[in-house]
Amino acid sequence: MSAPLYANDAFGYSTAMALATVIGLGFGFVLERAGFGRASVLASQFYGRDNRVLKVMFSAIVTTAVGLTLLSGMGLVELGALTIPGTWLGAAVVGGLLLGVGFVTAGYCPGTALVATGSGNVDGAYSLGGMMLGAIGFGVVWPWMEGLYNAGSMGVVTLPEFFGLSQPIVAAGVVVMAIGAFLGAEALERFLARKDGVEPPPSTLHGGRTRNVVFASFAAVAALALLPLGGEASPPDIEARLVSLDSMDLAEDLIEHPADQWIVDLRSAEACAKERIPGAICLPEDGDAAFLATLPPTRTLVLYGQGSMNSAPDSALAFEGTVAMLDGGWDSFQADVLSPPTLPTRASADTRARYERAAALHGHFTGAEVQRAPPPKPKAVKRAVKKGGGC
Amino acid sequence: MTTPQPVSLSAERPFWNPYLAGVALGALLLGTYLVMGFGLGSSSGPTRLAYGALHLLAPAWTEANGYIGAYFTEGGSVLMDWMVFEVVGVLLGGVLGAYTAGRMRRGAVSKGPNISRGKRIALAIVGGVIMGFAARLGRGCTSGQALTGGAVLALGSWIFMLSVFAGGYLTAPLVRRQWR
Repeated sequence: MSAPLYANDAFGYSTAMALATVIGLGFGFVLERAGFGRASVLASQFYGRDNRVLKVMFSAIVTTAVGLTLLSGMGLVELGALTIPGTWLGAAVVGGLLLGVGFVTAGYCPGTALVATGSGNVDGAYSLGGMMLGAIGFGVVWPWMEGLYNAGSMGVVTLPEFFGLSQPIVAAGVVVMAIGAFLGAEALERFLARKDGVEPPPSTLHGGRTRNVVFASFAAVAALALLPLGGEASPPDIEARLVSLDSMDLAEDLIEHPADQWIVDLRSAEACAKERIPGAICLPEDGDAAFLATLPPTRTLVLYGQGSMNSAPDSALAFEGTVAMLDGGWDSFQADVLSPPTLPTRASADTRARYERAAALHGHFTGAEVQRAPPPKPKAVKRAVKKGGGC
Repeated sequence: MTTPQPVSLSAERPFWNPYLAGVALGALLLGTYLVMGFGLGSSSGPTRLAYGALHLLAPAWTEANGYIGAYFTEGGSVLMDWMVFEVVGVLLGGVLGAYTAGRMRRGAVSKGPNISRGKRIALAIVGGVIMGFAARLGRGCTSGQALTGGAVLALGSWIFMLSVFAGGYLTAPLVRRQWR
């Protein structure tokens, strides 16, 4: 079972609740060790003296982002199955600005107020109480906030989608940006320390080696995540556009939407000339691939060979639209559609439905008498996506 | 110029190197994503506690409220939520971390020398109220939006995070006196 485990039903609700407390415990512990149980340490970020908040937060974001990118590239996690916060522009800008105002005023953000309370700082506990009042206050003024709350709704949008770049490229960009921000923050700390006549924070003063190891690790993992993009840029591109199609679905498509596909027969010229799927164009695999590029990408390009094909031929790369591979190729179309179906002996509802569907298609394509008129079937054709892109 | 070494009265352990602390935090967040399919949060736990308490005092008003009422349509207790259990862990993690590092300071207030305890607490409350409001409006806080959403490269979370820093830097000069 692939990650995420809970979203893929690997364990139940009560286990999830127990894990919640364990995960929270780890979260609180790390925040405390980072120094975030003290308001003076956190607030120092906003005066430039000690940029721990930036360093911890961006290191964490980079670790998770490149980790997820690498694992998804290895097929170990489905990014599409993760919960990704949606984007509401108005709420993100105004909510973010206000949270920043509250952060520097209180000296805590919500998570660190909890940690401060746990480490005995009463100002943390008072902040927490204030937060609870603020949450109720939001409910009180909800009628005036509802518009802003929903303003600029964009749904779930990730940075790779927004910029039209691949996930590994954006992850690498985040690494570069973070390291730049870290170096800038350290330069600022040194400058302000010199101005104040004090020593810069210990991590900046003595943490050089640790820092370099962390930076090098970030760069190495980001580079590993980029590897699948190496070589030609086109193969992942075609994979994302490649779908597979079953012969009966194709037959139904041909009846219902005859102008929605280009069907190309990749078998030898003689075989194709003799018999082919109705409407198919004969184009031997070693033939003129440039022809495919001239087809408008508004239709789906359906390719088939004699049997199943493992991958799309290189010539299909020239086509800009969706490329569908016929499962089982010509053999399958001939067996499922062009040959008369055999009436099932033990007719379950499923086999009977399949028989009736096959009989109808067979009748349509060969003119053979249909033994039993099936009910009309306004069924949307489902195409199994062979290899989905990430998110 | 020589600076005298600060005299430490307690055997307090130093904070972790911030980059390593960040890697540890990121590894935890990555693990949470792999196991749960979602990430960390902080503000919704206290929010649910507040709404639960309000519901005890004024059930009709709470359920009729356009925003808060939605927390009471799910069935079951408002406190039976993953984030509530997680936030209990965060609090315990704070206790564990502070205790094992010799940093447990019961009844202390983190502040600079030039502000009274009462004024610092007042600012902590005011800041808390603003944050509690902001976290509802922004659908999360520094944990659930900026960190967790930022790590999965959500556009809105990055806008939120940059806005948090902007709000903090803009307000910092006004509240500077409580730290120095």
